[in-house]
Order: sequence, then structure tokens, then C-alpha cells
Amino acid sequence: MKRKISTKRITLDAVLTALALIIFIIELQFPEIVPIPGVKLGLANVITLIAIFKLGPVDGLIILILRIVMGSIFSGRIIAMLYSLAGGLLCFLVTVFLKKIVSKSQIWVCGVLGAIAHNLGQILVAILITQTPALLSYLPILIVSAVITGAFTGGIATVVLEQRF
Amino acid sequence: MIKTKTWIIIFACLLAVSGGLSLWIFLKPVGGTVANIYVDGKCVRSVDLSIVTETYEFTIDTHNGTNRIRVEEGRISVVEADCPDKTCVHTGWISDSAAPICCLPHKLVIKIEKDKKAGDDVPDAVSK
Repeated sequence: MKRKISTKRITLDAVLTALALIIFIIELQFPEIVPIPGVKLGLANVITLIAIFKLGPVDGLIILILRIVMGSIFSGRIIAMLYSLAGGLLCFLVTVFLKKIVSKSQIWVCGVLGAIAHNLGQILVAILITQTPALLSYLPILIVSAVITGAFTGGIATVVLEQRF
Repeated sequence: MIKTKTWIIIFACLLAVSGGLSLWIFLKPVGGTVANIYVDGKCVRSVDLSIVTETYEFTIDTHNGTNRIRVEEGRISVVEADCPDKTCVHTGWISDSAAPICCLPHKLVIKIEKDKKAGDDVPDAVSK
């Protein structure tokens, strides 16, 4: 599946990256609802989902990595980049795998399982970095959070992808 | 192709199981009263919360920043941190739960355990 790098593709990727970044930064401004590390809405994943399903995995990956790297720099959370990358890449892999087995109206499933994968990746990196296996005790609550937030963000992506654009 | 209904059932089960598990983890007492503070996986300070009578504060310096910790009778919390996310501060007090306070940017974890893992007031205790 070799594609020419067209101006349209570059522009679309750039616009989606910008959108993802804006969503990411705005979401950071909201106070935490639950004081548990890793619990957040993850609205920027809507853009990753749209990119993967509309433009393909390569563009999705480019947008995801650009958003994480720039997002960490813009928000001054360089150390958090490692957690975000681990979570983001795992989420990406799960989504790309699921793309083959879900129908168009089931894209929200990618949101849910992607969010679970994301939180799993983050917790594994956190355990490795802090050398504290006890952090695993956060896994169940993070799965609860992932199912809810993932269904929400995945639902948005499903609705958006049903439109013609 | 898996049916949408099947997905919903799978997620509902997952939600119920992990919801129950997290309730159990957060509500189940660990049976310990010692707060061990770990930085980088190494215990730098232990506080026996059961013998604390007066509120006091101390600062833990890590390579990545500092956390100000407050100890009260039977409980402990991070009151100030110079990390960007402040999750450790928002976690609030812990007294007897399996879920630790953690400050991921500073690689700092406060866990309630049965035994002391470090000296009382000497941060880098030699004896051990």
C-alpha cells in the first residue's frame, strides 16, 4: 500500500495534528475530577481514531507521535512523555489490530480497548520507572475509567466518521 | 465479526469485575500502619503513623523535584509538590489502603505497609 505523499495528505495530517494538540492542551486545563494518576478523558484519541480509520495507520501514527511529543513540550511535562508514548503506542497497536475486525458502526470498541491498552502501557512504564509493583493496584480503577472514557471518545469518533467529509 | 451486543456484554462484565476489584483494593485495610516513602524504588523514609500524635511536615528531595509531606495521627499526604500534574497532592490523605500515593514525575511512592523499610527520621539511613 504505497502512497504518494501529496500536498493534500500533508495538509490533512497537519490539520489533524493541530486539532489533536489543541484538544490535548485544552483538556489539561480542566481540573482533575478523580485524583488518581492516569484517569483522564483522553479526548485527543478521537483524532487518532479518525486518522487511523480515515487516512490509515501510517498517518495515524505520525499524528499520534507528533501530538505526544509536542504536547509534552508545550505543557512542560517532558517526563510525562515516556508514559504518554508507552500508552499511546499500545493504544495505537490495539486500534490498528481491531480495525480489521470491527465494522464501521463499532469503531467505539477501538476507543474502549485502546483506552484500556493505553492505561495498561502507562502503568507498566510507571512500575518500571518507580520500581513499585504495588502501582498495579491502580489497574482495576484505571480499567473502569478506560471503559467509560473510551466509550465516550470512541463514540465521538464513530459519529464523526459516519459523516461524509 | 463480533456483534455489537457481544462487545457491550464483554465491556459490562469487564466494568463490573474491575469495579469490584478496585472497590476491594481501595476499601480493604492492609493491616499496616507504617508509611514507607520510596524514591526510585528505594525506601528513603518510614513513618509509623500509629505513634504520631502531632501533625508535622517534612520535605523529600528527589532528583526531579521536591515533595512536601504532612503526617497526622494515622494518616499521611503530600501537601505540596513542584511537579506539573500535582496528582500526588490531589490524592489527599491515605491511612490504610492498598493504593499508594504516587508522584510519577518525581518517581516518589508512599505506601502503607506492615514493616518499616527505612530508619525513622534519617533519610538515608545507614543501618539496614
